[in-house]
Amino acid sequence: MQVTINKVFPLDGSVSDAWNLLENIEQVASCMPGAEITETVDENNFKGSVKVKIGPMHVAFNGDIAVQEINPGEHRVHLIAKGQDSKGTSSASMDLTASVRAGESGASELTGDADVTVNGKLANFGGRMMTQVADQILGQFADNFSSRLGASAGSEDPAQTASEPEPQVQEINGLKFAWQALIGFIKSFFTSKA
Amino acid sequence: MERQEQLQGIGCSRKRKEDPRFIQGKGLYVDDVKLPGMLCGEVVRSPFAHAKIVSINKEKALALPGVHAVITAEDLKPLGLHWMPTLAGDTQAVLADEKVCFQMQEVAMVIADDRYIAADAAELVEVEYEQLPALVDPHKAMDADAPIIREDLVGKDEAGQGKRTHNNHIFTWDVGDKDATDRAFESAEVTVREDILNPRVHPSPMETCGCVASFDKVNGSLTVHITSQAPHIVRTVVTLLSGIPESKVRIISPDIGGGFGNKVGIYPGYVCAIVSSIVLGRPVKWIESRIENISTTAFARDYHGVGELAADKDGRITALRFHALADHGAFNAHAQPTKWPAGLFSICTGSYDIPVAYARVDGVYTNKAPGGVAYRCSFRVTEAVYLIERMIDVLAQKLDIDKAEIRRRNFIQADQFPYQSALGWEYDSGNYAPALEKVLEACDYEGLRKEQTEKRANGELMGIGLCTFTEIVGAGPSKACDVLGVGMFDSCEIRVHPTGSAIARMGTITQGQGHETTYAQIIATELGLSSDDIQIEEGDTDTAPYGLGTYGSRSTPVGGAATAMAARTIRAKAQKIAAHLLEVSPEDIEWDVDRFHVKGNPDAVKTMKEVAWAAYNNVPEGMEMGLESVNYYDPPNFTYPFGIYLCVVDIDRHTGETSIRRFYALDDCGNRINPMIIEGQIHGGLNEAFAVAMGQLISFDEEGNLQGNTLMDYFIPTFVETPHWETDYTVTPSPHHPLGAKGVAESPHVGGIPCFSNAVVDAFAHKGVTHVDMPHTAFNVWKTIHELGLDS
Repeated sequence: MQVTINKVFPLDGSVSDAWNLLENIEQVASCMPGAEITETVDENNFKGSVKVKIGPMHVAFNGDIAVQEINPGEHRVHLIAKGQDSKGTSSASMDLTASVRAGESGASELTGDADVTVNGKLANFGGRMMTQVADQILGQFADNFSSRLGASAGSEDPAQTASEPEPQVQEINGLKFAWQALIGFIKSFFTSKA
Repeated sequence: MERQEQLQGIGCSRKRKEDPRFIQGKGLYVDDVKLPGMLCGEVVRSPFAHAKIVSINKEKALALPGVHAVITAEDLKPLGLHWMPTLAGDTQAVLADEKVCFQMQEVAMVIADDRYIAADAAELVEVEYEQLPALVDPHKAMDADAPIIREDLVGKDEAGQGKRTHNNHIFTWDVGDKDATDRAFESAEVTVREDILNPRVHPSPMETCGCVASFDKVNGSLTVHITSQAPHIVRTVVTLLSGIPESKVRIISPDIGGGFGNKVGIYPGYVCAIVSSIVLGRPVKWIESRIENISTTAFARDYHGVGELAADKDGRITALRFHALADHGAFNAHAQPTKWPAGLFSICTGSYDIPVAYARVDGVYTNKAPGGVAYRCSFRVTEAVYLIERMIDVLAQKLDIDKAEIRRRNFIQADQFPYQSALGWEYDSGNYAPALEKVLEACDYEGLRKEQTEKRANGELMGIGLCTFTEIVGAGPSKACDVLGVGMFDSCEIRVHPTGSAIARMGTITQGQGHETTYAQIIATELGLSSDDIQIEEGDTDTAPYGLGTYGSRSTPVGGAATAMAARTIRAKAQKIAAHLLEVSPEDIEWDVDRFHVKGNPDAVKTMKEVAWAAYNNVPEGMEMGLESVNYYDPPNFTYPFGIYLCVVDIDRHTGETSIRRFYALDDCGNRINPMIIEGQIHGGLNEAFAVAMGQLISFDEEGNLQGNTLMDYFIPTFVETPHWETDYTVTPSPHHPLGAKGVAESPHVGGIPCFSNAVVDAFAHKGVTHVDMPHTAFNVWKTIHELGLDS
């Protein structure tokens, strides 16, 4: 089951502040709800985990993140993440290109283009919800990213500020999630321009 | 007359004898069987469609209190049971051996004290997979770079069904005169061609599959309660696999909650439960969940075909040509008589006099569950009938001939029977033309066409579907059909007791067909005993004579014939006893409903009850005592029931929703044993036809993940969705069946599906639409509407 997601989120900070945050993979990961970097293998390879709870499904993915490209000139990162859940019943992979650019309304914008492939139980269970769930996860990610950017904007050393207090790893809340996904699903009826 | 009615014999709409038990919830199904010390099995299944198994770690599962064993292919290997033969000459992994080939494939079985512990422990079995690219589209199966699904068959040019040409190729089957057919197409005035898809569906009976295996270590005997449509075949297979003598294997099919082909095969869960019971020395139960049932045990159809007809300009068909890719999934566990890899598909010339035909089917492996069973039909007959009944409509549209008229022009005529079809069948009897006229008149066909023309002028969508089909049921003559080398006869053993009641034991097994009611009616008429005094028993291999089971509408054509023949042997003996009692010679005795009397002297009478008593104390000299008989009936031919169906559908041009306004089903199944049960069968079959045509689909994403394997997604029509059915009949007896009867339960499914499709397509015929694939869900129909711009 594959979905392609293309998103643009407005940010409060400047392009250079946003890029400072984006090129720090550990910081970026901690903005992802339920995610954390568990091990730094080398400068381009990391091990990480994501916990998701949707209805009766608890899925904890462990996987590898391989940075393919960090392009400071174009403010773009490209990474591939692959993982299986700890029970071996689902697998997921994501090919993500994220960049920051000067925005129209805000000071800057975060763009993300991702191909997400899900196999196993999660694909059976969540097939039709995938797009909505991915939207929600990315929406929360953008909120976290933006607020971290806001918090670090005035600081001289953004990485230090961001690292204390220690970022809290939160499990994605299933019920809240399902509700938001449902709202998203219903909204899509009225916003699509068929 | 009065005595006849009291018997409640053939022709009587006798109420079903099994219903009081079912409506009181007192049936005994496999899951109701609870044996002392019984354990429960739960299958660990593959989450991926195609993957290597890197490792299996059982430790955490085994550490859970209440868990007795976790078995994997490695454990079955020393017993030679990690693979098993299929009915189609292939082998199937009982538990995945080094790799998994479809999502939800069986990888391990956990045996625990109860289902809850077993289910928890199954979650604790850690399996590490290395995913492989999945093959989902059968059209890509034979590409040069297609992933190889069956590593075990690499280098083998044969998989049990003749030569294969690619690692994912299973067989090529063909029938008919190819050259003559090609020539007929070359010289034809008109030809039509259409891609005809029968999508993958699942029979989904109300009760899922399961078993309780109980091995007695002391005397080495095995008893298995099992949801099987063919318990005797199961016994033979168990003996062949396990080496336990057949005399020590007892298979019991108790009450079965619907089969529809889903319960013909042998499934890995059964084998694991049996092995576990033998190893642990305790009874082991395994019952599928609904999701497991829809995902793994025996799908149906998945025929991706191309149909062609050649005809003259008046619409007379001169040739039929067909080629299909049959997606059999990861293992060829197709349900079929041994030599028939495409089942009885060659009935595809239908009710029409077609001079030449050629059909070819190529079976391929894909990363999907194995199967290919006959879902409420005789082997692949639904696919065959769907092909011809869709194509004749396509031809009618091309030539602008009315869809009823084109059928009239092509029907096999009554005086042509027995009719030899181009693809090798001898149709026993039929009388199509008058039946068609009866339906057209009953539905005011002319009026409907007029109404349709008016509606079309107003932009409204209304379709009229016709289906005039012939089925081939009652497998079958042992010269043509066998299962694992056993001829497809069936059997009945009747014992008449001294006081004139009787018990009959059958080789068939009811799953809702009402055998306890109808077989008793046959015996009642043949022996003159009240059907209320006749017990019918089925499903216990220790007591019943060997039979091939119930599927393919074979119970009445084969089991019913055996019943009549066994009863006639008894009556012949009874006649001799009666003659002895009346002190005349047997030739001077006449049979009269329930008694014998001396010819010309109606007062010199012995009733069958009196004869039964005498059979146990006063028989002619030299005659054996007792009054019983067993018959193994090997039918000389199949039976060929037919039907004329008409469907009227209204379609909402904004939402694509369909509304079946009228469905009129005329069936001819020869002589009718119980009209009420026939009507029930027609209703049930039409419901399942409606399900398949209008909603059922087992679909996968590109990676082979099942999309919708729960009843949230898989369409089972309830009385809310089901249209109203009108039924009718004609009677054209089978000349070779002892009772003149034919099978019937599957006709409505086989004939119903194309009738619905024909109606939906007909609604768009004026816009040039000749075919749309099933299922005709509101969304799919809307897509057609939208493409045609009819919703604006």
